[in-house]
Amino acid sequence: MKYMLLIYDNADTRELFFGPEGKALGEEIEALMAELAASGELVGGEALADPAQTRSIRVRDDMPVVTDGPLAEAKEHFGGYLIVDCDSAQRATEIAARWPNARFAAMEVRPIMNSGGGQDL
Amino acid sequence: MTQPGVQDVEGLLRRLAPQALGVLVRRYGQFDACEDAVQEALLAAVGQWQNHGIPEHPRSWLVAVATRRLIDEIRADRARRAREDAVADLEERCQPAPDEPEPSEHDDTLTLLVLCCHPALTPASQIALTLRAVGGLTTAEVASAFLVPERAMAQRISRAKRMIKASGMRFELPPEGERADRLRAVRQVMYLMFNEGYTASSGSQLQRVELAAEAIRLTRMLHRLAPADGETAGLLALMLLTHARRAARVSADGALIMIADQDRSLWDQRAITEGLALVEHALASAAIGPYQLQAAIAAVHAEAPSAEGTDWRQILALYGLLERIAPNPMFTLNRAVAIAMVHGPRAGLAELAKIEGDERLAGHHRIEAVRAHMLELAGDRPGAAAAYRAAAQLTTSLPERRYLESRAAVM
Repeated sequence: MKYMLLIYDNADTRELFFGPEGKALGEEIEALMAELAASGELVGGEALADPAQTRSIRVRDDMPVVTDGPLAEAKEHFGGYLIVDCDSAQRATEIAARWPNARFAAMEVRPIMNSGGGQDL
Repeated sequence: MTQPGVQDVEGLLRRLAPQALGVLVRRYGQFDACEDAVQEALLAAVGQWQNHGIPEHPRSWLVAVATRRLIDEIRADRARRAREDAVADLEERCQPAPDEPEPSEHDDTLTLLVLCCHPALTPASQIALTLRAVGGLTTAEVASAFLVPERAMAQRISRAKRMIKASGMRFELPPEGERADRLRAVRQVMYLMFNEGYTASSGSQLQRVELAAEAIRLTRMLHRLAPADGETAGLLALMLLTHARRAARVSADGALIMIADQDRSLWDQRAITEGLALVEHALASAAIGPYQLQAAIAAVHAEAPSAEGTDWRQILALYGLLERIAPNPMFTLNRAVAIAMVHGPRAGLAELAKIEGDERLAGHHRIEAVRAHMLELAGDRPGAAAAYRAAAQLTTSLPERRYLESRAAVM
């Protein structure tokens, strides 16, 4: 079963990650990524650039309207994701709990939809 | 020599893969390293045999090439200088020989299956390792069947092999007393592999026929190795009878079609005939078991001339038996469906109420889908719509979600 682990940041976590404590946090993340790669659970993941670089696009009356900044002002913003293929939602939750952002901001675990069909009975 | 087709070569290699691996492991031990070596030999064979024809003794060719790889691997491992003697010994024994009769070839394949379905491994790892070591698939093929990157699958397979090594399990058939348990574990892996292919929990198409077909091929092999085993015959029958419906369960635009609405003329009659014969023979000659009973239920559907002509009383009796010998909330849920079909939707809903609190079904979309169907039959359209919507929210399958939303919309 594949899950997306959504990594949330807030203003403070950005400072943390790029401040003096950043090195230790980076190492923590690298160790977890290496562990997930070794277990074969890691499917992919990326970190996103600062939310200040976000552009939001809405098409209204066939006209795209582009605005700078995220859709909604919020204390926490989407900062990156991991995709894992693991045996249970519980396992995905365990992985999320070990990602440093879970301590400072939050993580979300969401099952990924697939194109497989169910039983035909 | 004429050039063989790609499918000829691949089919032959998949048949020979477990035999070659069996020979290597018996000669040199080290399942882990031998499995890697055979994998490399298979990859080498694909190119060579297609261009230069299939060699006269294909299995010996594979064994010789795999042995050479094994030696190279041991040589390259400088940390193990002490093994130089072992290398010299291996080299002496690796001369290609004609296909000598291997009296224990069947035992080898069975031993490999038991090893790959080691209880210490997770089901996903058991399936992956079985597909590669016994099924002769490449890592890339296994990875694509599960839609994960090749390196992730390679990691899973080598991790699984390390766990088997650490468990100290030897390359020999389990003692008579443990054999039944081991065979049960192998059947479970085949069943999961089939379901993975049939329902494709992570596929880009509704059905990845390849994986289901591979599960059938391996189960057929297991059935040949243990022909008197009624549950193995039952499992093969269940797969054949289910797979027979594959062309009818998806519409041209990719939508899911429930069994009641399927065009039965699209069902594969050859697979049905074979499945029926298998299950009838097993039920008449072997101790009864859950796979035989599930196959018997699939047989009732297969023999019904139409959805209306389905013998639901017999299905209900079979689910009752199944629930007694192998209690499982999914069987109870399916039995509730049969009760609704025999005694009416209200009786089915009453049965459903008994299992609602079962933790093993908590959050499963199927209980809501079944409830929705029963409410629809009972004429409670708003209730059915709400249950269809609840089921649609719970499923992670896109075609299923589309189906459930479309039912909710017409209520």
